[in-house]
Amino acid sequence: MLPRPLIQLLAVAKKETLQTVNDRRMVALLMIAPALQLGILGAAVDFDVDRVATVVVDHDRSAASRHHIEHVLADGTLRRAFDTTSDAEALAAIDQGRAVAAVIVPPGFGERLERGEPAEIQFVAAGTDPNQSAVATAAAGRYARFESARLVAAARSARGTPTAGGPSTGSVRQAPGPVVLVPRVLHNPRLRTAVYMVPGVMALLLAVVTLIIAAMGLARERETGTLEQVMVTPIGATTLLAGKLLPYLVAGLFDLLMALVVAAFAFGVPINGNLGVVFLGTAAYLTSTLGTGLLVSTLSRTQQQAFIGGFLCMLPALLLSGVMTPLWGIPEWLRPLTYVNPVCYYAVIVRGVLIKGATLSELWFELLALAGIGVTVLAFAAWRFRRGLG
Amino acid sequence: MARQVNAADAVLVAEEVERRFEAVEALRGVSLSVRCGELFGLIGPDGAGKTTMVRALAGLIGVHGGRVRVLGRDPLRNPVVRDAMGVMPQHYSLYGDLSVIENLRFFGRLFCLPRREFTERSARLLDITRLAPFTDRRADALSGGMYKKLALACALLHRPAVLLLDEPTNGVDPVSRRELWELLHEFVGEGMAVLLSTAYMDEAERCHRVCLLHGGCVIAAGEPRALVRQLEHPVFEVRGGDRVALHALLEGFSGVIAASPAGDRLRVVLVASTVPALTAELGTLGAALAPVTADFEDVFLTRIAAAGDAPRASAAARPLAGPVARGDA
Repeated sequence: MLPRPLIQLLAVAKKETLQTVNDRRMVALLMIAPALQLGILGAAVDFDVDRVATVVVDHDRSAASRHHIEHVLADGTLRRAFDTTSDAEALAAIDQGRAVAAVIVPPGFGERLERGEPAEIQFVAAGTDPNQSAVATAAAGRYARFESARLVAAARSARGTPTAGGPSTGSVRQAPGPVVLVPRVLHNPRLRTAVYMVPGVMALLLAVVTLIIAAMGLARERETGTLEQVMVTPIGATTLLAGKLLPYLVAGLFDLLMALVVAAFAFGVPINGNLGVVFLGTAAYLTSTLGTGLLVSTLSRTQQQAFIGGFLCMLPALLLSGVMTPLWGIPEWLRPLTYVNPVCYYAVIVRGVLIKGATLSELWFELLALAGIGVTVLAFAAWRFRRGLG
Repeated sequence: MARQVNAADAVLVAEEVERRFEAVEALRGVSLSVRCGELFGLIGPDGAGKTTMVRALAGLIGVHGGRVRVLGRDPLRNPVVRDAMGVMPQHYSLYGDLSVIENLRFFGRLFCLPRREFTERSARLLDITRLAPFTDRRADALSGGMYKKLALACALLHRPAVLLLDEPTNGVDPVSRRELWELLHEFVGEGMAVLLSTAYMDEAERCHRVCLLHGGCVIAAGEPRALVRQLEHPVFEVRGGDRVALHALLEGFSGVIAASPAGDRLRVVLVASTVPALTAELGTLGAALAPVTADFEDVFLTRIAAAGDAPRASAAARPLAGPVARGDA
């Protein structure tokens, strides 16, 4: 014979599961929506900048100008929108939004290059989308640096060839070569947004689903009067809450599994670390999201209020999570909120394990923080729930 | 003559219970007690405080004054007493999206009934409530009467010693009502203490003892028959005459304590000394007074009128269930 609270807990969990399974919409919301949304959001939330519409103004019309214009556009970051002969028209096109950038080659560009004099190409970018203009400018700049280095090297070797003794003789001192920085990016070498974003979006989706369901679940019992019938049985308030949350904890872990499949196969997110750590983190994370949902439901009388309350909690949690925007971009006075935001810690855990292969010993702080937040919120919600009954 | 209730064998006790909801005083010092094998009626119009009293006895809400005891314990602080208590709330309180048997099974588990006991008990309850052919039907697809019987079955699964029913017959057809009463009498016969609330006056007469609740106060209490016998005013039926004219006359006549429709006639409770005067006045309208035996509704209307805040309980302002209440009696 099992202890009484355990019998009651299992009864509530079974009833909750039955009710969920009876409701097709709930099954869809719980089981399919997260994976589906991850697919859509992961594809949509893409900060990779390419194919920036660029106007070309070639005043020089020389072989050199054509060569360099073609090459600055060659890596695909910039896309040739159209050509014009007037600077004013190019700027107007940017003003009107027909183009985002302009490449302007002044007259005499080819001749100056031939004479070995510095020659300029002007690059104009619209600052409306700072991220886009920064990437476009960087692409143009990268090309200019690369080309300059090549020209300097070519000029030097041109000067070097007459001393036919070969470089090994060392009889002629060469000018020192330029210092070249060769950057190497770890973990996500191609800097693909999806690899970084998808684990973050997973954190958001899990939070949305579990928080709203926990908030609505208890509010529904209150609204339909079933809570009253349950509370006149010998079940304790804590047992009731635990029984109600248990199935959603399981559903959340299932969602994680689905999301991992989508992340790995649809977005090529690597799984470099131990998935056990991710599941452990998810369990702790779900405790806090379910607890928050419960807290919201103790503050609401109807399902509608619970639903709106749930979303009110979600927005700041998402914006202050470091998932969409970097944490250092958040104003100083708002930072303390990020320390109690479970989404922050969870995003660090998921990204850490999947992308960097982080281990338990590197993530123990985040795991403990999540568990701490979860237990605190849950205990507070349970206390409020018990008090609200009296 | 009211049966004396010994405090020792009262399993359900309320002493001077007060409860406020913000500015509203729902209960203003209500006392009652129910013992084993007794069917106790909490009678009153809507808004009298019946539901609040039931909820306080069930331990669902606390009280602001006085005390509540179930089997000698405070139900709010001792959830243990819920093992011995069955409660049927007024409103729909079962899981509409679960079937009859799923609801029963769920509540059986909450009371931790062993499987065998549950099987026996649920089979018997399904049998006596005649729900056995509908075990797979969703609760929200049941008729009003069937739903109430399922709620009753859920409240009785664990063989409670005390049963609280909040308006169990509200919205139930007459046949199901009769069945429900028969069931209740059966349980009471087995020694259960039953407290039920109702706004139907005719049901008061089926209780062993009643307490009339009005505006959060007890305005009368005792055995229903004794309360009727103790009515100090004569009751008459008005026969003949034009109804509209009669209404106008009775409205303005100070000796009328209460008036209510009974079928196609009017029933009035009168101050005895004013009977000759009213007889004369009615004569001019071609109507006459015929003495009738008082019933519980007359008692109730008279007590409400005496309680003050309803200066005259007339048929027009009567907060009761309407003609159905009497027609059903």
